Amino acid sequence: MRTIAVLAFAAGFGWSIGASAQDVSAAEALLKKSGCMKCHSVSAKKEGPAFKETAAKYKGKPDAQAALFKHLTTNPKIKVDGKEELHDALKTKNEAEIKNVVAYILSR
Amino acid sequence: MGWYRRLQERCATCSRVTLGAGVLLATLGISFVLLTAGAYGLAWTNTEQFCIGCHEMRDNVYAEFKGTIHDKNRSGVRATCANCHVPHEPVALVLRKMAASFEVWGHLTGKIDTKEKFAKHRYEMAVKEWTRMKKNGSQECRNCHHFEAMEPEKQTEKARARHAKAQAQGTACIDCHFGIAHNEPDGPGPQELKLAN
Repeated sequence: MRTIAVLAFAAGFGWSIGASAQDVSAAEALLKKSGCMKCHSVSAKKEGPAFKETAAKYKGKPDAQAALFKHLTTNPKIKVDGKEELHDALKTKNEAEIKNVVAYILSR
Repeated sequence: MGWYRRLQERCATCSRVTLGAGVLLATLGISFVLLTAGAYGLAWTNTEQFCIGCHEMRDNVYAEFKGTIHDKNRSGVRATCANCHVPHEPVALVLRKMAASFEVWGHLTGKIDTKEKFAKHRYEMAVKEWTRMKKNGSQECRNCHHFEAMEPEKQTEKARARHAKAQAQGTACIDCHFGIAHNEPDGPGPQELKLAN
């Protein structure tokens, strides 16, 4: 039990370290390279929700990082103008880079 | 006309035709010089070098523009400051230049002469430009990007759907394509702007 608690803390701590040490310009570059900014914006309305909206939606939720990580890597189905389409994934397989983007979005 | 009478007195031997022709030629000459100087001046104020002559532009929006798709790309075709921010139509162009001359006051008074001041005013400047671009249906974008010249099959499925929707609804390019050449300001975007008529 204690081991699980320690591991959970470590995982959370790892995420928070990632969040605090996020590389903003790297995150923005990957978002741009992946075409995310075509549908999303940091604070303004576009086809997809603004990052600030996403950050507010996930605020205080313990599974926020994991949920967003999954959303950005697995091409989930989304609805735009009532039509279903696949959400694009980030153009990288590097976990640290993806986590950096997740931290960037959640900290907007 | 006093000046014409004085001219006749100075050249007593000149016929009325010669004098008239001389006056006409002089008028044409002066007009040519003024028009050429005006056109040259307008063209000069449309150059990238002119725009980045002040550090407010060079160190902020121009630095952000460097490396974007409108600055560097596969084919080497560039859209510089004036291509996007100055209308091509003569009347709209002159009106924009006149409006811009008031912006020189901001430069002289140092309104945005530091990074902090620029950041503080970035949103209001963006809104001003977005409003202008929304009102003219993003004409400066459409000077190069024509809906009718696009090949939808070469676009992604998503782009195709978004462009078809924009065309059907008459949406301005800037409604979606903002923050592509400069950093996005913090605040509501063009789609959320309420335009006053």
